Amino acid sequence: MQNTLLLTIILPAAATLFVYFLGKKSSKSAALLIVLICLANITLLSTTVPTILKAADHKYVESYYWIPVLHASFTLFVDGISLSMAIITLILILAAAIFSINYMHEKKGLAEYYALLTLLSIGLVGVFMTSNLMLFYFCWELMLLPSYFIIGGWGYREPYRAAFKFFIFTHAGAIFVLLGIGAIFMVTGDLDMFQAKTALMTANPELVKWILLSLTIGFAVKMAAVPVHMWLPDAHSEAPAPMSALLSGVIISAGAYAILRVSLGTVFPAVMATGFGSMFLHGLTVFGIITAFFGGLIALVETDIKRIIAYSSIAHMGYVLFGLSLFPFQEPVTGTVLHLMNHAVSKGLFFLSAGAVMKQLEIRDIREMGGLSGKMPVTATASTVAALSIAGIPPFACFISEFLIFVGAFQTINIDNFYLIPTALMLVATVLSLAYALRFLSHVFLGVTKHEKVTDPPYFMKTAMIILAVLTVALGVWPTFFTQLISSASFV
Amino acid sequence: MIELLYASLPIIAFVLFSLLTIPIFKIINKMKSRKNILLKLFWFLTIFIVSSVTVANLALKYYAEPSPKPFLNLSLTVGPSAIFSSTFLVDAVSVYMAIIFTGVSTVTVIYSLFFIDTDNELSGRYYAVILMIIGCVVGTALAGDFLTLFIFWEATAAGSSFLMLYQKTAKSIHATIKYLVMIIIASAFIIYGLSVIYAITGTLNFWEVKHALTALADKRLLEIAFVFIAAGYSIEAAIVPFHMWLPDAYTAAPTPSSAFLSALVDQASYYVLLRVLIYILTPPTVLPWTLLFAVLSALTMIVGNLLALTERDVKRLIAYICIADVGYNLVAITSVTPLGIMGNLYFFLTGGITTALAFMTVGVFNSMGIKNLEDFSGVGRKMPFTSLALVLAAFSFAGVPAFAGFMAKYLVFTSAIEANMGWLAVVGVLTSVIQAAYLLRLINYMYAKKPKEEGRIKEPKKLLIPIFILAVTIVILGVYPSIILNLIEPVIQQFQLMP
Repeated sequence: MQNTLLLTIILPAAATLFVYFLGKKSSKSAALLIVLICLANITLLSTTVPTILKAADHKYVESYYWIPVLHASFTLFVDGISLSMAIITLILILAAAIFSINYMHEKKGLAEYYALLTLLSIGLVGVFMTSNLMLFYFCWELMLLPSYFIIGGWGYREPYRAAFKFFIFTHAGAIFVLLGIGAIFMVTGDLDMFQAKTALMTANPELVKWILLSLTIGFAVKMAAVPVHMWLPDAHSEAPAPMSALLSGVIISAGAYAILRVSLGTVFPAVMATGFGSMFLHGLTVFGIITAFFGGLIALVETDIKRIIAYSSIAHMGYVLFGLSLFPFQEPVTGTVLHLMNHAVSKGLFFLSAGAVMKQLEIRDIREMGGLSGKMPVTATASTVAALSIAGIPPFACFISEFLIFVGAFQTINIDNFYLIPTALMLVATVLSLAYALRFLSHVFLGVTKHEKVTDPPYFMKTAMIILAVLTVALGVWPTFFTQLISSASFV
Repeated sequence: MIELLYASLPIIAFVLFSLLTIPIFKIINKMKSRKNILLKLFWFLTIFIVSSVTVANLALKYYAEPSPKPFLNLSLTVGPSAIFSSTFLVDAVSVYMAIIFTGVSTVTVIYSLFFIDTDNELSGRYYAVILMIIGCVVGTALAGDFLTLFIFWEATAAGSSFLMLYQKTAKSIHATIKYLVMIIIASAFIIYGLSVIYAITGTLNFWEVKHALTALADKRLLEIAFVFIAAGYSIEAAIVPFHMWLPDAYTAAPTPSSAFLSALVDQASYYVLLRVLIYILTPPTVLPWTLLFAVLSALTMIVGNLLALTERDVKRLIAYICIADVGYNLVAITSVTPLGIMGNLYFFLTGGITTALAFMTVGVFNSMGIKNLEDFSGVGRKMPFTSLALVLAAFSFAGVPAFAGFMAKYLVFTSAIEANMGWLAVVGVLTSVIQAAYLLRLINYMYAKKPKEEGRIKEPKKLLIPIFILAVTIVILGVYPSIILNLIEPVIQQFQLMP
């Protein structure tokens, strides 16, 4: 088809109002409509797979008229990396919508909730699918607005406080991104990533340096790298569980994807040969290690069920930063993108099962839980799959991608022996993640039960968890399809 | 000569209709039928259709002409005395300004028509003054020499003071006096500066002044003239440290007119700054004034946003955002780049629409007795539609994409980078984070806090029509800004063509 990618954007955009009015009548059918849209979009996107694998530049591009004055055209494109991220995003949205049917059913204003979720899906998918920086920024902020209202409107405790923190931090970051984009436009006169990449090669390296820093700081806020992580624990733990799954699964991954695609993919080649280039990569490594240890250590002592998972997200973004700092080798880039996907699925599953536990028990302190494995077998299995995957244990998803990152790290040591100590430290950090995963499992599901009348959650919540659990195992056992797709995209 | 008529027709139309409005209103009120308001609406629609036709005619005639000159200079008299004559100037900028002034004023006037205060209905005189001001503002946009600009612009200010005085409370009289004192000082400055300019160049016509100044050898007198003129127009545009009159003046006026003032008069004051500073008076090659105004603009952004951060009265808060907006406009003006001018012109429209929308919605809240931040607790559920419009305005102010304000801010900051003033762009970026913070605090009050009393408040349905016209415009312009940017594009080409 000619307009495949445009359709994937237009479909949810047009459906938003339908979802809203359908939601007024029956919230369940609104959620199922979202599921249908996601399925349709996944089908549409998968039709581009043959083109991507066969085409000479491994890309599929569509371009439409938008703002010619600013050289901004409505360019949609997918290559292996974008396509994998977009498909995983759609699967997570699908699971979140199914989970919401039971999880949210006693809440008010569900029509608005599902309409916002549909809007959110445009931004989430769009951000992975465009090569125009202006359109990219539009989608980037379109992720922010609906999530602000979802966290604020349907969250726990003081939701608008957490949502405010989330908005201000990431908006401040976004505005630095905007400065960077403006500067790229000034220097190159173009807003297309691939055109800009070539044009930046001849630009003043002093200026390119500032552009790179400004963009990377902005993206790092979304990614919640230490020291700009403060918004994440609040936002993730106060949001309703389906939203936490999306936040932790997709939104912070979008930050990492943006660093890979824009900072490293577009701007970085211009300064790669200079001394600043390696300094920048080493800086990423250092922040990656700090982030991994910070997140892992706090997750080890937290007692709030969702905050543990939130801090583990920070820790995993540390791995991702470390993986990104091994740019431009093929294995670590593939490994990092694969880790973003695997982490998205596992963490989504983790948050959904934590949400199920919270929903059935109505407490959030893990010290008051215990022995739930007998009472909630499905939830317990799902949590175990998620936790072991997060800890990096084969045959679950995250093992493969972490392995690929470390393979890349050892390759890089041959060239730049700065990476020797960081790699060792990152290996220690994986032990931390095993520790907090086991602590979580033993506190919540093992031991003596304190709650007699607990059962597994209702049908739809179980379905959502099973979908993601199966996917976590499947990605761990047979990652070939996605590794092929991802490694078809070239950066060097 | 026939083109002179085309240029003056919009102004003549507004002034003529303004004079007709009082008798027509008398007649309509005598009829005492229930359909009064429909008749009045019909009358205003006639006015705006006629004047839109005149403006459209001007635009079409201007663009139909394959003129090699970037502008048309239309003197009232011809021959050797033309140099002293009043002049109209038609170029892409003034045509664009005339279009957006007519468009935005339509919506604000419809709003004031539907806004029936508990105490008093707005009289025919009020509308006459408003129409007169629109005529003067369009005249300001089309003026071709300093004196014509001065006359139309001071007439605008005088008319605005009538709007502020309209309620005749102690507060409004106080605010009006403050405003008048500032404006009179400003016009004294300007007149003094203009007399010096005339002494140096022997003319007041924009382009001739410009040519004379570019060739000027001794710049000492010009420096004096520049300081006076720039100070005068800075006072009228409420640049910090001359901003004190604005919050009082805008909050003292009846609600519909604060929307009107911010959408038209405020934007016109930026236009005057742009025209005088960049196009006419002193290109930076003649006098290096950019740094001075860059500092002022940084100050204005910081002070305006900090004052808004500490303000608890929501109407005043919006007035402080107007001040901050002056700062953002100044960023683009000081960059003196084609991109900056594009940003300015786009900002004139989006800033006008957004502040007008904010004042309109806050006006609806105020008429329900909801004034301070605390009163806004929980209104999101009590008045969902009005609240939604205010939220859209807030995000447009904060420069979040998919709303009109974003593209304006993007152009402004990019132009600052282009002019090698990265620090100014950073200041602008940081202050817009502050802006997002206090606007989110407002949203937080509206949706998160518990209201004092439960239950929905009935929203005035008629007022929602103009409010949602603007709200939808904000979203459409946000998603597809090409509608306006294509209109502005000729300006950029002319700016590069300019001698």
